[in-house]
Amino acid sequence: MISLKKQKSFFIAASLCLPVLLLLAFVMIPGLDLFRLSATDWDGLSSKSNFIGFANYAAMFKNADLWQSLKNNMVYFTVHLLMIPVELAFAVLLNQKFRGSHFYKTVVFMPYIINGVAISYAFSYFFSPINGAFDALLKVLGLGNFSRPWLSDAGIVNYVLSFVSLWRFSGYHVVLFMAALQSVPEEIYEAALIDGANSAQVFRYIQIPSIMLMVDFVLFDNIRGALQVFDIPFVMTSGGPGYASSTFTLYTIKTSFTFSRFGLAATMAVAIMFMIVLIYVIQNVIIHKLVLREHK
Amino acid sequence: MMSYDSIFKKIFRQVICICMVLIVTGPILITLFASLKTKTDMAQVSPLLLPSLDRITLGNYKSVLHNKAIVTGFINTGIILVISLIFNVLLGTITAFVIERFQFKFKKIIVGLFFLGMLIPTFVTEIARFKIITSLHLYNTLGAPIIIYIAGDLMQLYIYRQFISRISVSIDESAILDGCSYFTLFGKIIFPLLAPATATVCIIKSIAIINDMYIPYLYMPKNKLRTITTFLMNYANAQQGSWEQLAAGIVLVMIPTIGLYIFFQKYILAGVVSGAVKE
Repeated sequence: MISLKKQKSFFIAASLCLPVLLLLAFVMIPGLDLFRLSATDWDGLSSKSNFIGFANYAAMFKNADLWQSLKNNMVYFTVHLLMIPVELAFAVLLNQKFRGSHFYKTVVFMPYIINGVAISYAFSYFFSPINGAFDALLKVLGLGNFSRPWLSDAGIVNYVLSFVSLWRFSGYHVVLFMAALQSVPEEIYEAALIDGANSAQVFRYIQIPSIMLMVDFVLFDNIRGALQVFDIPFVMTSGGPGYASSTFTLYTIKTSFTFSRFGLAATMAVAIMFMIVLIYVIQNVIIHKLVLREHK
Repeated sequence: MMSYDSIFKKIFRQVICICMVLIVTGPILITLFASLKTKTDMAQVSPLLLPSLDRITLGNYKSVLHNKAIVTGFINTGIILVISLIFNVLLGTITAFVIERFQFKFKKIIVGLFFLGMLIPTFVTEIARFKIITSLHLYNTLGAPIIIYIAGDLMQLYIYRQFISRISVSIDESAILDGCSYFTLFGKIIFPLLAPATATVCIIKSIAIINDMYIPYLYMPKNKLRTITTFLMNYANAQQGSWEQLAAGIVLVMIPTIGLYIFFQKYILAGVVSGAVKE
């Protein structure tokens, strides 16, 4: 039996060495290295860098453009948050069997799998000021007066970009909610209906509680997603005009790869990590204190 | 007899769904229309409509495809995809199998590391990863995206672990009693049983890799190393304002993942859900 045990240890070690090595080299060490870099003035190229303590952190908090970017992230977050009830309603709707429901399910998720860069350019065309489709659509509806430079008006550009983000990611949430709804056993519905529950009551007392964990996940996904919005503004406006549609991640990436201030950018990366963890903890406390207590 | 109430409900349901379909397909159709128009029709025909049938042109597609860069893009994306998938599947299956089936020293630490690895935010890590990639001389090679896709995204572990936990342990035990080595057990018995999960992992990863812009953009600025996505970015910059040409490029770049979706919808939906609900 000793040889079998040895064989087993050898198998475990042989199987895990490469995956663990890759994880350490390309995920964990860079992740930790961000903390070290955040205390330096490294420019991304030179082999030397100076230790500058918390200077990057002080610079980050005083950076008005970065705060503006973070405010823009809030727009994405809010718009997606307001959409969650609609997504839930769609999930309940599409969970029923009716004419065309399979087709509608297919369509609702489609934006999520389409190339993000391609779709960003498609929307740049859609909202373009010259012969743009959106302006044409407004004209058809008799709302031509509302036309504006959708992607260069600092006051609305974030809402336009958030709409594109909604277009891409809402279907994903609908599909997640549908999966959660399907996890409720059929007998529970039947029992409720026999007991005379109407569909509003089924929704309120059976469906909502059983998908609370998924709502939790979608909320967190929304926060993580909103903090990390990158490709849509990067392709459609590259953060402009000025920093009007910049986002935290976009600004961080520009700080490093365009302005070669890797130390400062690492500080911002640490800040993103910190925010994600903090919000995750707060949200968990809220969900577990309020929601789960209510349904105990 | 059907009540008015339920007829109303049915109509309402269809109206809502049709609105959703219009919103989802509208921007794609408008791009498709533009790609079929001549330059004059772009100015004269409403962007919401196709030109009259006799004026439809494939010229824009011809000129995109004439550009060798898109062919290079498809080839590069294909190479990156195949190699990344092979390693993702091999390493993913064996890691999930070992973690799921064996007790060993440091197991908690290793599992914890994989969990932490998933929490690290994706885009900003590149600031530190960039240094490692350049010091390994992988910058401006296909190796950069390949190794990042293999090491960086860990969702396959969850899909495989869920799947393995449903395979009975008695299969392992009897195989070992029959004198199978652990490598044979994994290679000949477990790995084939994981085929459905592998299909899901491959399709989900394919979509993510084909659609990724960021890694190739950052690590492979060289012309010859464009993927279809970075090709499109480059093409868009070269086509300043000539939307009908760009639209053809957009449509061509959209096709691979839409195709995958149409053929493998079931796997994609299942994989996305199990990739999300990790616990």
